[in-house]
Amino acid sequence: MMLFYFGFILLVAYDKPLLGSLVVPGLSLGILLGAFVIVAAWVLIWIYVRWANKHYDTAIETLRGEQ
Amino acid sequence: MTALFFFVFIAFSLGVTYVAARRTHSAAHFYTAGGRVTGLQNGLALAGDYMSAASFLGIAGLVALSGFDGLIYSIGFLVGWPVVMFLIAEPLRNLGKYTFADVVAFRLRQAPVRVAAAIGSLAVVSFYLIAQMVGAGNLIRLLFGLEYELAVMIVGAVMLAYVLFGGMMATTWVQIIKAVLLLSGAFLLAVMALSRFGFNPLALFRAAADQYGVAVLGPGRLVSNPFDAMSLGLALMLGTAGLPHILMRFYTVPDAKTARSSVSYATAFIGFFYLLTFILGFGAMVLVGQPAIRAIDAGGNMAAPLLAKAVGGDAFLGFISAVAFATILAVVAGLTLAGAATLSHDLWVNVVRHGDASELEQLRVARASTIVLGVLAIVLGIVFKGQNVAYMVGLAFAIAASANFPALLLSMFWRRFTTRAAQMSMLAGTASSLILIYLSPTIQIDILKNAAASFPLRNPGLVSIPLSFAVAIAVARLWPEPEAEARFAEVEHRVHAIPAPRS
Repeated sequence: MMLFYFGFILLVAYDKPLLGSLVVPGLSLGILLGAFVIVAAWVLIWIYVRWANKHYDTAIETLRGEQ
Repeated sequence: MTALFFFVFIAFSLGVTYVAARRTHSAAHFYTAGGRVTGLQNGLALAGDYMSAASFLGIAGLVALSGFDGLIYSIGFLVGWPVVMFLIAEPLRNLGKYTFADVVAFRLRQAPVRVAAAIGSLAVVSFYLIAQMVGAGNLIRLLFGLEYELAVMIVGAVMLAYVLFGGMMATTWVQIIKAVLLLSGAFLLAVMALSRFGFNPLALFRAAADQYGVAVLGPGRLVSNPFDAMSLGLALMLGTAGLPHILMRFYTVPDAKTARSSVSYATAFIGFFYLLTFILGFGAMVLVGQPAIRAIDAGGNMAAPLLAKAVGGDAFLGFISAVAFATILAVVAGLTLAGAATLSHDLWVNVVRHGDASELEQLRVARASTIVLGVLAIVLGIVFKGQNVAYMVGLAFAIAASANFPALLLSMFWRRFTTRAAQMSMLAGTASSLILIYLSPTIQIDILKNAAASFPLRNPGLVSIPLSFAVAIAVARLWPEPEAEARFAEVEHRVHAIPAPRS
């Protein structure tokens, strides 16, 4: 997540013309990547919740059972 | 019409407070609603606590006036949530009781840690309160023509009624109602704005580019200095995980699994809302026009209400303004409750009384602290009249990321963390961020009208956050604390909610 976001911030900081360039009329690369960062946050959290519900919780249950 | 929406909201939320008040009899109910909030409820309440006036009014205004640059705030405010999820939410739930200082102080000496944590928390809460109160004062003045000072006092009084009588239960419900209103209001506003462009966002962006030049779709002069961009980005990202009123919400759920699901709901709602700000900002830019927005408020804070008027007339303006007002009230209530928890639970109960205070005394002190903070909020709102709302919130995030986040993270994950390191890191984070804010161009050049500023960055995060970490690590290395290290196993067990082995 930090990579996505800091990649985005560094582009804002160092390569403004690139982010200002248009992908299609009306849509700049900056707006597209910005929306992508938000979607990436959703996806990462969704993957984490699936992993935690499936694997982490079962592992903790096992540990509790052993005590 | 506007007045009608206002009174309906206030009457309804006070009704909720009345019901909640009848169930608030203990400190645990006052601070955490008895720990029985569900994941969806807490997710909505987190979203309600987080989407402040700065988000709705401030960002829509920034985008309307400077285009793409405003979106940097939208995106920055969201990326803190994965950090909260991966590092903070679940361990925090398992380790603490009412405040985040419970976690930091868990295996350290109570008094020094709690005093330092209280200083950091109160600094964050104060800056955040200033932003909300200033936004509320402006909004009510614009809508009803009331004096700014009177408007601030009304907001303070209504908020006090919620928190004082209903505690966390009322605050949570006010936030849930507000989140639902804000999400549906912003969605409706975005749909109505897009209907003018054949429901195609690209057509809207194209119209903005035609009218104001294609430059509005790319980064411009708001972040002219690369280090400024990084500093703001770092503060927004790590600040969320250090905001006392957000952290406190994780104690309202029964277990770590619910804490987890509440963050995923919150991130879904907040991300959706920030995507809508893209549309709202550019919509206001095209349909209202930059000159008209500037004419009403130079900071652009009224862009969203003006867009509502442009697409839906006076009735819709009334609805959106009532939503904005609800937004501010709910955030102010959450902040006041977090501040009151710090004053009463951290300072009074654990430092003055050494953890030995009756239930009745805790509740009394909590309510007294609430009144103190309510009065403080009104005074700050009046003193800081005319400040930029989104910018003040950015500073609150910087202080939270420097003062609270490093100590909280290290206390949970670093075996060799010590009392002195926690104390020094929190004090260094608070002091350095406050001093650098004072030396920044915003204070020195824009407000004090000096020729130059001795610190080049507008946001202190890039310096103060690493400094706080460095101080923590250096102090812990120089003065180890074997007792704290010995109790780390207990922390590890509690983090995963496994009973600690007998030693």
